[in-house]
Amino acid sequence: MRVLSRAELGAWLDALAVEKALLAPTEVESVVLYRPVQSSAEIAPLQGNASRPVLSIKEAFFPPTERLLLIGKTTGPGNGTGGQFRLRETLPEGEQIVFGVRPCDARGMRALDALFLHTQPADPYYARRRENTTLIGLACAEMGPSCFCKSVGGGPDDPADVDLMLTETDKGYVVQTVTEKGRTLLAGLELREIEGEMPRSALNEPVPIPDMLAWPPHFQDAFWEQSSERCLSCRICAYVCPTCRCFAVRDEALPSSQGEECYERIRCWDSCAGDAYRRIAGGHNPRPEKGQRLRNRYFCKFYYYPQQYGPVACTGCGRCIEACPVNIDITEILAHLVTG
Amino acid sequence: MTHAAAIRGKARELLQTGQVECVLGYETGSRGRVRPAFIYRPEEVERLVWNQACTHNLTTYLPAKLRPTKPGQTPRHVAVVVKACDSRAINVLLAENQFTRDQVHVIGVVCDGIVEGAGFERIPESGAAPPPALQRRCQRCDDRVPLVYDTRIGEPPAEHPLAENLPGDAELDRLEAMTPAERAGFWLAQFDRCLRCYACRQACPMCNCPTCLYERDDSLWVGMGIGSSEKRTFHLGRAYHLAGRCIGCDECERVCPMNIPISLLNRKLAKEIELAFGYRAGLAPVPGPLVTVLESGEVKP
Amino acid sequence: MTDTTHENPMLPYLGRLVGVSDLATEIKLFRVELLEGGSQAFAGSQPGQFAFLSAFGRGEAPFGIASTARRGQPQNGGGRVLDFAVNRLGSVTTGLHELGEGDEVGVRGPMGTPFPMEAFKGKNLIVLGGGIGGAPLRPVIHTVLDNRADYGRLTVLWAARHPSLLVFTEEYDGWRDSPDTTLYLTVDEPDATWDHHVGLITDLLERVAPSPENAVTITCGPPIMIHFVAKMLERLGFAPEQSYVTLEARMHCGIGKCGRCNLGEKLVCVDGPVFSMAEVGGLLESFL
Repeated sequence: MRVLSRAELGAWLDALAVEKALLAPTEVESVVLYRPVQSSAEIAPLQGNASRPVLSIKEAFFPPTERLLLIGKTTGPGNGTGGQFRLRETLPEGEQIVFGVRPCDARGMRALDALFLHTQPADPYYARRRENTTLIGLACAEMGPSCFCKSVGGGPDDPADVDLMLTETDKGYVVQTVTEKGRTLLAGLELREIEGEMPRSALNEPVPIPDMLAWPPHFQDAFWEQSSERCLSCRICAYVCPTCRCFAVRDEALPSSQGEECYERIRCWDSCAGDAYRRIAGGHNPRPEKGQRLRNRYFCKFYYYPQQYGPVACTGCGRCIEACPVNIDITEILAHLVTG
Repeated sequence: MTHAAAIRGKARELLQTGQVECVLGYETGSRGRVRPAFIYRPEEVERLVWNQACTHNLTTYLPAKLRPTKPGQTPRHVAVVVKACDSRAINVLLAENQFTRDQVHVIGVVCDGIVEGAGFERIPESGAAPPPALQRRCQRCDDRVPLVYDTRIGEPPAEHPLAENLPGDAELDRLEAMTPAERAGFWLAQFDRCLRCYACRQACPMCNCPTCLYERDDSLWVGMGIGSSEKRTFHLGRAYHLAGRCIGCDECERVCPMNIPISLLNRKLAKEIELAFGYRAGLAPVPGPLVTVLESGEVKP
Repeated sequence: MTDTTHENPMLPYLGRLVGVSDLATEIKLFRVELLEGGSQAFAGSQPGQFAFLSAFGRGEAPFGIASTARRGQPQNGGGRVLDFAVNRLGSVTTGLHELGEGDEVGVRGPMGTPFPMEAFKGKNLIVLGGGIGGAPLRPVIHTVLDNRADYGRLTVLWAARHPSLLVFTEEYDGWRDSPDTTLYLTVDEPDATWDHHVGLITDLLERVAPSPENAVTITCGPPIMIHFVAKMLERLGFAPEQSYVTLEARMHCGIGKCGRCNLGEKLVCVDGPVFSMAEVGGLLESFL
């Protein structure tokens, strides 16, 4: 095994932070988030579930708000929609490294890649960020109380979806090179060869996951309406999820015009939980009831998304379980599908 | 009889006699966590619990539950389990005509305070040592007896806590010691990690507009982006809309996934309202001064 | 700007309004000349497909393409012209309604699964349009009229709540003049000069009672109309596989990314908006 000491890791990250944007788990007030850091000293203590960022790395590829275009008006009155226009696409620039990526977050990229990259047409904004980002993973020594990554095909020490995987041992961080991108990032770094076995992470009780085809027969169950009664229709579950990707698109005025550019077209995170989400102009809404919307969320993750794009849209990270203020628990939902 | 048993008994009676269609209470959910329960049948009342993790303000479900879905529909009746703070919300909702008093059978519980971590962590064992800390709103609470109820569960404490013996609001003191520039910096830093998940708004009983101003697609009072300017507008605007209406249950702060001290903003404005009008929200079913038209010379609603 | 088609599916083409006219109350017809790469991008647009129109500064919304690529062939070095019917209901459509000839809009597309016009060849077509639902059906009618020998009998049932809400009225005589083509009109509430059928489109359909033999139906209109028409068609002996609809959904991207327009496991923007009633019946979710 090749290892880096904690000090060596810190020095290496410091050097990387000079060349590229380095995102790492860091404390923002009392909350840990993947945020840009200038030095390794800003990185939050790494182990334990309490130090897992509240949001996944999704925001590094699919940010909460993203500018798609700048819209310039070449003729016509300042406000109002009339006139002639010039459009400029605003693709993201700049390389970034995300450090401390938990395997569940990395696996979320697999679901998002299937949608944004591998299903035509590819999304150029996501694609650029994906191309320009290197992921340095960090294995979890143990699964958290609401984690079930192993049950959905992942695992707390699964290196599959990162470029480099680090595993903490008492002899330092074991470094696994997973991709060429990872190998390139390591270039020039001296790693020590040591004897020893890769530690394996402590696992939880598995959570039974229903087969994809088990879902349709349960579509009309009263269970959905009953489970949704306490739902607040907020957006927490969608926003903390590594795979949820619904977005809204709109034009908005720039805070101040830059030459002829006066509007931007932006997209930002949205959630199917709200009752206006699916309402058509004219008022018709196929999902007016909370139960229908709750049902849509879980069917989307475990049935619709895999039907459309391939992977199941859940990595077992358990964030939705931890964050839901009214204890809507995805493992309870799954249990109904398995036993019901 | 324990509070839980008394609540179950009352719920059973109300459902059996058809006085209510539904009892809104608390149950133990997954992982030992308390969550809101909607009980429709007498045989289900065994699900109802009462303990120091019953943090949710169940009155937030009342407007939607009691609103008629079709014109001319017979008004619905529900029962709701409330703590003292929650009961103040009932007064505000009544004052704002969200439902009529006869539609709600209020089961008011004399509360011993709710613990930190309620709703998110396993309910602590009774007699656990050290005893879990109470939420700060409970530490500051000066009246644990619900103000409005049809059935009271528990006896009022022999002595009313003296205001001077209660811990102050250290967070509010710190805020008030800041200069305006420092305060602005503080709040902008807090809002920076806001996601506009709207959990604070959705948890709040008083935020019950059919379409929130800040989500209107047509008028676009505020942009839809999750950016600094929009978030500031949302939080400050919402605080103004709650001034004179917020009853201080602090659920907004509990539900926030980013630990933003949302309730602090509401408490600041509540204090301003009290200083200006001598008014505290929810003590009676009377509208707050900021939503009331006062004649010249009047300072109280 | 170049003449090539865009790689970025979220980047609109510019389009110039070369005609803005009132189609019905609160409904305008926009004739859009596609500029630069847009003209080429829409060369293959098929009946049933849609496009996103941008009212810059407001946003975009999806609209059925209400004309054929062929009838909009570029002329005199200009760009391809396509028609869109826009009902003023929200902020984007209000923004569009504020525009006049010469103003520019954005156009993205063509999007969606079209009507299987090839498979319809040799069959009798029954086209049912309710209100502005007639707009995406117009290119179907034009395709049949322009390739008359390829298709069998054409029966058009055209409905609206009121005569002022009937769309493309100036074309009706032209449709009637086409061989083996019949047009039936109906309104819920007539006005003083109305001398056609009065009543719901389902009543009209029951009276006309077209034969299901070697026929397909194509329906577009409000969800409730689609629902009751489908029931009536079943009563008249049409199999769900013979009945096609085009469904509306709230959309933000149109290209199967934003997740909003799903009906169960299908995305209206990509798997639809055209579906057979057999497919609609097989969906987990109801469009109603």
